[in-house]
Amino acid sequence: MNQRQNDSVTERTPVGFNVHTGLDVQAMLEAMGLHSVEQLFADIPAQVRLRRALSLPSALSEWELMRDVRAIADMNATVLTHSSFLGCGAYEHYIPAVVDAMVSRGEFLTAYTPYQPEMSQGLLQVLFEFQVLVGRLLGQECVNCSVYDGATALAESCWMMCSASGKRRVVVTQAVWQQYREVLDTYLLPRGLQLVYVGQDLQTGMANTAAIADLVMAGDVAGVVLQSPNALGVIEDVQAVVQVCQSNNALLAVCVNPLLCGWLEAPGTLGADIVVCEGQPLGLPLSAGGPYVGIIACAKPLERYLPGRLVGRVHDLNGKLGYALVKEDREQHVARDRATSHICSNQALNAIRVAIYLACLGERNFMRIAQMNAAKAAQLRESLTALVGVKLLRSGTHFNEFAVELPMDAAMFCTRMRDLGFFAGVPIDKALVGHERGLLIAVTETKSLADLQVYVKHACACLQES
Amino acid sequence: MSATSPSQSIVDLHRPGAVSDVFAGEAPMAPPTPPSFARQRTAIGLPEVSEVDVVRHFTRLSQESHGVDNGPYPLGSCTMKYNPKRNDELARLSGFANAHPMQDADTLRGVWEVYERLQAMVSEVTGMDACCLAPAAGAHGELAGLLVIRKHFAQLGTPRSVVLVPDSAHGTNPASAAMAGFECRIVPSDLKGRVDMLSLREMLMSDVAAFMLTNPSTLGLFEDQIVEIADAAHANGSLLYYDGANLNALMGIVRPGDMGFDVVHVNVHKTFSTPHGGGGPGAGPVAVKAALAPYLPSPVVIRKNGVAQPDGDRPLSIGRMKSFHGHVGVLLRAYGYLRTMGARGLREASENAVLNANYLQHQLAHMLPPVYNQFCKHETLLSGERLNTSARQFAKRLIDYGIHPPTLVGAGCVYFPGDLKSAMLIEPTETETKASLDYQVEIFQRVFDEDATDEALVESAPLSRKIARLDIED
Repeated sequence: MNQRQNDSVTERTPVGFNVHTGLDVQAMLEAMGLHSVEQLFADIPAQVRLRRALSLPSALSEWELMRDVRAIADMNATVLTHSSFLGCGAYEHYIPAVVDAMVSRGEFLTAYTPYQPEMSQGLLQVLFEFQVLVGRLLGQECVNCSVYDGATALAESCWMMCSASGKRRVVVTQAVWQQYREVLDTYLLPRGLQLVYVGQDLQTGMANTAAIADLVMAGDVAGVVLQSPNALGVIEDVQAVVQVCQSNNALLAVCVNPLLCGWLEAPGTLGADIVVCEGQPLGLPLSAGGPYVGIIACAKPLERYLPGRLVGRVHDLNGKLGYALVKEDREQHVARDRATSHICSNQALNAIRVAIYLACLGERNFMRIAQMNAAKAAQLRESLTALVGVKLLRSGTHFNEFAVELPMDAAMFCTRMRDLGFFAGVPIDKALVGHERGLLIAVTETKSLADLQVYVKHACACLQES
Repeated sequence: MSATSPSQSIVDLHRPGAVSDVFAGEAPMAPPTPPSFARQRTAIGLPEVSEVDVVRHFTRLSQESHGVDNGPYPLGSCTMKYNPKRNDELARLSGFANAHPMQDADTLRGVWEVYERLQAMVSEVTGMDACCLAPAAGAHGELAGLLVIRKHFAQLGTPRSVVLVPDSAHGTNPASAAMAGFECRIVPSDLKGRVDMLSLREMLMSDVAAFMLTNPSTLGLFEDQIVEIADAAHANGSLLYYDGANLNALMGIVRPGDMGFDVVHVNVHKTFSTPHGGGGPGAGPVAVKAALAPYLPSPVVIRKNGVAQPDGDRPLSIGRMKSFHGHVGVLLRAYGYLRTMGARGLREASENAVLNANYLQHQLAHMLPPVYNQFCKHETLLSGERLNTSARQFAKRLIDYGIHPPTLVGAGCVYFPGDLKSAMLIEPTETETKASLDYQVEIFQRVFDEDATDEALVESAPLSRKIARLDIED
């Protein structure tokens, strides 16, 4: 029934990554008293069998594959072909070579979830160290071993607040990135959660604390979601919202850029119940959007609502310390439809990246890089807003991202800048600022002062064209 | 033994000032005046460790981990087959690794090109009409598929609230159904390990949106009543969901779409050999029949005027499953696999997966008889009833010989229905050679003999590892 039956079985050579020669197949069949592999598929009803070969492109050798994909890769522009000031949830940071070297080790790369702890102590220890380092960074006691990305982490945190409180309403600030808000809708609306949006202060760009207070005081609110820095690049006053929440029996989840915690106090330390973040800035390549790593950290009382895996310290039969997955009764393979989430594969390898990145930098460098980000962004912000017609969009405190109002359409400005070799920024959703002249600009440690000066020079030229 | 003691953690390696300054050559720049909530009072508590110590620490931890690169990993239902090295290199190409997701779509042509080709290949392998690559993992693909189903009935004006799953289903099935807002009902298995048709027919009521099925099942058996199952579900107006966890047994032989399934997700690490990474990242493309295509999550890539690009006109889409476009770095590896294998290679891989599982089942039968005494597909459920100790202890002793234990009750991603406490699910996968399989048989025999003659030895396993058996109950 397939072309190979015409071949002499013993002359068969394996295709691609297949391993058996014809002689192997023959020997295995003989051991079982069979005469063809086909006998093993006899239980598949004839009427549904595929009676042709799959229609796929022909197989490529390794060098042909490399040539094919290199050509496709060259169809993309990158942050190396253009000087990039893009942010909005993904940031260009320098990654120490050690990070790639360590995560490329086959023992990490090709392992499965560590269900057999005695065989996976190293992997478990790295994941435990990830939990410890990230917990310190975010100022929180409990950290899970990652979810898919920042957006799904935020959605999971809303479900955590609802599960813990038994309530079904969550207050969300409007200045959460649009992509994240879309994920909240996809994840939460089918489960019957109600998302109530509150606006920003038009002057500062910070969440309207009075409006949040009104909503939580009315009761029936499980919790509040805040993003800091928000979609306008403005740092939120976490402490003020903590007070509003605590005095009204509502929980608070803060979505933070983890690098900010090298400069400002961590949201967990300030009293947020849940801190979530996209871990991409902590040693993950941009990769056109993924895979990244979603991190959820919370206070001890909320631990049992955490989705996904937790690594804990346990003892072996001789009382020696070891590591294992713990509290698995919350997980899908045990709790099934009553599980805290359906997570089966998470982002373990990227969590390993984060642990190695933080270990490479250490306290002093991490703080230094965070300060460099803040300083360089401030430098560009000041130079740009000195240009005629360019205004700072909101007056709040910025970290490595800020919003300006241009005297022209932001998308058109970006197109002009692109022709000069720049990714100038991300145009801001009109719904957030009321016009299409808003631009969100991110600056990281990868930009030198000279790079910033060139940006300003070209921006000036592009604006004058209008 | 390395200079650092095995119990040392990265935090213990802290020596204040041990790291050198990054960007030390750059002119210092004063940070802006910090606001009132600046980090002043408390340090973060990140350790400072010299680079060589970082490298030695994590290298040692890698050596204390077991991956497919180390040796056999016959973890049933998890499909731990070889992860080709060339595909890792694809993901590292600068054109992909350094592309920013917020770049204009027309500066990401290479991403869309790979997506469009991969969508077509996944659709062809699964027998579906349309595909979305965005979901981050198999379970995420399940959630996407179930939300598509939910939206489908909502659009018809006849919402349905129930999803049926077999008692042997992966735990992700009922968990995803609950996340998608469905009530879950469990369909029992019959004595042959198949779906109990009588129960299924009774349970197919007007509120049933879908029946989720893995075929071959998590017991390694092909559901030979699949045509009747599909007919019964469709006659009830319900849809059939295919959990692609075991698709590596059927590539090029039978397609879910041709068996009557309406929605499919694919676990790329199981089917298309992407590395599992100790738990992830994965990717879980979701594919559907034409009638459901408008509901697929974004982005879906189309070819227009010869150019691959995201489809911007999808008003009925269930929306966005995650930020940005999906796991480009993982999907590139799946693309590399499919382009290397081609149609013939894929079919051969499935034949080998099934051949290897049956060979092991046959060679082990005198020690660990198959629970269902028939040909299996890519994995086999074996009974540990003849063991003196337990299946768990038997499995722990395998560790001492460098073989990862099979899936056991409570230690793996599947659930065994009924009274199968002593069972173990073993999946050799298609990339184990005959020599490797024969070695595994030899080791199983050795441990089986030890179990018969030296129970105490087996019960104290593993003996070769840094730590002895862990008590995870605390």
